[in-house]
Amino acid sequence: MADTYDAVVVGSGAGGGMSAYMLTQAGASVLMLEAGSDYDPNTTPMLNLQYNAPLRGTSTPDKPFGYYDATVGGGWDVPGEPYTTAKGSNFMWYRTRMLGGRTNHWARNSFRAGPYDFKPKTRDGLGFDWPISYEDLEPWYDRAEKLVGVYGANTGLENHPSAGPGVLHDPPAFRVWEHFLAAGGKPLGIPVVPARRAVLTRNMDSRLACYWASPCGRGCSIGSAFQSTTSLIPWAKKTGKLTVQTGAMVYEVVLDAKGKASGVRYIDKASGAHREAKGRVVVLAASTGETARILLNSKPNGRSEGLANTAGQVGRNLTDTVGASLSAYFPALEGRPIYNEDGAMGLHAYIPFWQYKEVAAGKFDFPRGYHMEIGGGFGEPGIGGFDSYDGYGAGLRAEVNKRYGARIGFTQRGEMIPNDKTFCELDPVAKDKYGIPVLRFSFAWSDHELNQVKHFQNAVKQLVDKLGGRLLTEVLPPQKAISTGGEIIHEVGTARMGNNAKDSSTDSFGRTWDVDNLYLADGAVFCSNPHKNPTITILTLAMRQGDHIAARLAKGEL
Amino acid sequence: MEKLLPELVEVDRRTTLRWFAVFAAAPLAACGETARSAMWGGLKPISAPTIGRNPDMLKPTVPWPLTMTRAERVACAALSDLILPAGAGASSASQVGVPAFIDEWISAPYETQQAHRALIVPGLAWLDEEAMKRGGSTFAASTPAVQASIADDIAYAGKVKPGMEKPAAFFARMRSLTLGAYYTTPEGWKQIGYVGNRPYTGPYKGPTPEAMADIKRRVEAMGLTFV
Repeated sequence: MADTYDAVVVGSGAGGGMSAYMLTQAGASVLMLEAGSDYDPNTTPMLNLQYNAPLRGTSTPDKPFGYYDATVGGGWDVPGEPYTTAKGSNFMWYRTRMLGGRTNHWARNSFRAGPYDFKPKTRDGLGFDWPISYEDLEPWYDRAEKLVGVYGANTGLENHPSAGPGVLHDPPAFRVWEHFLAAGGKPLGIPVVPARRAVLTRNMDSRLACYWASPCGRGCSIGSAFQSTTSLIPWAKKTGKLTVQTGAMVYEVVLDAKGKASGVRYIDKASGAHREAKGRVVVLAASTGETARILLNSKPNGRSEGLANTAGQVGRNLTDTVGASLSAYFPALEGRPIYNEDGAMGLHAYIPFWQYKEVAAGKFDFPRGYHMEIGGGFGEPGIGGFDSYDGYGAGLRAEVNKRYGARIGFTQRGEMIPNDKTFCELDPVAKDKYGIPVLRFSFAWSDHELNQVKHFQNAVKQLVDKLGGRLLTEVLPPQKAISTGGEIIHEVGTARMGNNAKDSSTDSFGRTWDVDNLYLADGAVFCSNPHKNPTITILTLAMRQGDHIAARLAKGEL
Repeated sequence: MEKLLPELVEVDRRTTLRWFAVFAAAPLAACGETARSAMWGGLKPISAPTIGRNPDMLKPTVPWPLTMTRAERVACAALSDLILPAGAGASSASQVGVPAFIDEWISAPYETQQAHRALIVPGLAWLDEEAMKRGGSTFAASTPAVQASIADDIAYAGKVKPGMEKPAAFFARMRSLTLGAYYTTPEGWKQIGYVGNRPYTGPYKGPTPEAMADIKRRVEAMGLTFV
């Protein structure tokens, strides 16, 4: 390791990966610090059978998304690295703790935020506007999506922006059950349209087009499903400018006498030694929670409130995505002709929010939208899918065959609005095994989210009725149907960007108001949490920021 | 060396799975173990090595020992074959290794699997006791009529014989596991019609012309417009 770098980047997922890529492409030397272990995507179990995995690959506390899930080391709990929740709060915090972070196993759903999503307060008076508009970000979305590789189509639907010419890869064809849903949605005005996912459908650079098999959550060794470990990180390494240090648990940003960031301090997990890494610029992309934790734990010159926290916003405005789900059975799909429905192993179609006009007209008791993700078809049978049968013998066998491919699941992904009861802060007592104070989460849904769940449930019921189906899951009261905070793994907002230092942590480039050469490049800077799955926006913001930092480095400003 | 009973056959995947315990030495006599069914819910969870956070995914192993007694394995095989018997070109549950898998499942030192073990171990003992009462033999050695009479009392939701709620819960769990274990085998894929996990280049082929024509017909029969 060198003595000092142009940039120290903390984290290696969407934000950190893009940051390292942009800066090394511009000729800067970068040290990437990752708290988790190294990871080689060539070890991905691509076509390996559940049949050969313990317990048929089912979810266990060791591997919560199944035996073959890409996450190694991390999970819902990380040994020796606890977090706490305030009394009366539930919060789930997923930490991958590996090179590439969550990009190794995410669903690859990549929906651009739209014009309304950047100015939500202007629309309904709630939450915060972003200091940038969709128009500001549009060229960067195009550039990021072109680099990442996203399949999809331009639907022209309200607040669902089109990508520029040549940006999107062709979307895979709808499967039978997706055509079926589209037919049912049409008379109800519920659109079933091509989804967008960060999955290649044509070969690009060293990566191959999807070969229509292998669950994407395992990771993708052929690079079709986007992850930083098959793209941004190896590309950055190729410049010779990137140094990667794994097992490096960063706990504070160090300032020099002039108040500029000089680097970070971290614990080398292998030896337990405290080390310091130096750079002309520091980029935190450790994840929404960890970035806030590092800022709160950085207390130079006795600043008890931490860094980037003059406005008192670090840890505030935490949100997750609203999640709920229902499952339905459709007799009309029984006994249809068999063919291979694996496809891209994820959404080909989805249901984007379709009622912005009704919301704007004040017709609903919730102010923000959601989309539905849908799942069905002749998928690979799993060990857990057989709880709802009756009887035994030949009749049972016939029933299994009859039902195969006739079930469709509906999942809500909705926007949560920041509220005063939802935030994270340092626990006054608890520390992790390295002695670093841990986060304590407070979390509460409001009626904005609960009423949205009710709308989702009613919309699904309508669609299921129209198609002659019946619900397999009970329609629970929204309070019970809604996900636990953090469970959807879309937490953002803990150090939001804004127009001024009085009420936000960073400017629109993610540069902290307090420290000119300290940048944030993950979901922490989000001003709102649109129902558009945050990763593609994190990648886009980090790309725009990387360009800005590179320019400043070149000008000698940093 | 004794000839292996079909329920003891380990299928191919066992060559890639390393199992620590061999149960073949365990006694065959179920009747000798008095009233294990009295233990409904009272079984202590197993403690054993787990998968861990970072297993070798390319060479999977089951790190915990199997725990079923031979009598349990025999009863388990008989019940899983009642649930999914051989027929019309299809193998039975035990022919594709389902009993061995259920042993693997209930021996796993995780909360979910241990809750299932607390139901299945007493349940298998109950099966033998009940079969002894009704026909004088273990469940596996009983006539099809005795086996069916027991199953009919516990296999149908809403029609469970009063007082047999625990055995019914046991049966339901055994059915879920038997189906899950069966349809996740290559044979099970064939039986259910799963034809995926087959990579190819070029665009996704989508529905066959036959499948498209079929759904169009179905949708239009419902008075809807195909899109």
